Amino acid sequence: MLVLRRRAGESLFIGDDIEIEVLAITSQGAKIGIRAPRETVILRKELKLTEQQNEAAAQTLGKKDFERAIENFEKPKPSGVMPGRRAGPA
Amino acid sequence: MAQIETEYFGNISYREDSVFDFPAGLPAFVNEKRFVPIESPQHSPLLFLQSMARPSLCFLALPIQVVDPGYRLAVCREDLVSLELATDRQPELASEVAVLVLLSMHDGLLSTANLMAPIVVNLKTRRALQAIRQDSVYSHQHPIPRAPSSQAGPARMEQPC
Repeated sequence: MLVLRRRAGESLFIGDDIEIEVLAITSQGAKIGIRAPRETVILRKELKLTEQQNEAAAQTLGKKDFERAIENFEKPKPSGVMPGRRAGPA
Repeated sequence: MAQIETEYFGNISYREDSVFDFPAGLPAFVNEKRFVPIESPQHSPLLFLQSMARPSLCFLALPIQVVDPGYRLAVCREDLVSLELATDRQPELASEVAVLVLLSMHDGLLSTANLMAPIVVNLKTRRALQAIRQDSVYSHQHPIPRAPSSQAGPARMEQPC
């Protein structure tokens, strides 16, 4: 990873048309401004990771070895943690 | 009772008031706004979150208490507002909200849970969202325990509730 030091008010470019500016730095974190073409997708990393994880989670039930996976799942004791109304197979 | 078609369970009946409403969908699935939670005694405490719009989309989930009984919620203010919950404190588990984590399978075994972005459901209104944490306290790939017969993975034991 390229590491460089910037102060508040200073910026850097990625390629020709993406500019990242450090607007302010406080004890809470750094405030970053980004200038980029409209079509550039900018996501917080947590959101990107969650999207990827959700994509993987959506595949899980479709996997053919799902039953095996469930068998290998170590079942804790039921804890009655899902209050409320239930749905079930018809 | 109303019925929906699902790929894994065939037709299931559900009660309208059991449905979780995700007004913003889920990350990567922003158009999936309604899910039916399906509990099956055979698989308890696993829970299935079946999309009402897409029969083939069904997530596997666990209540957070099962995965990490000491889990501390950190739902951001914006998410609390969306959930129509008090914004001056974190909601109470089980009485105000249900918190579920989505599971992923790796190498054919159920192996991780996304503790960084739990599903939070307002139990009173059934409004729900995936609350992405902004701290780095919990992993998006938290290992979950496996039965002793399984070979792979760390022997990480956690106490059930």
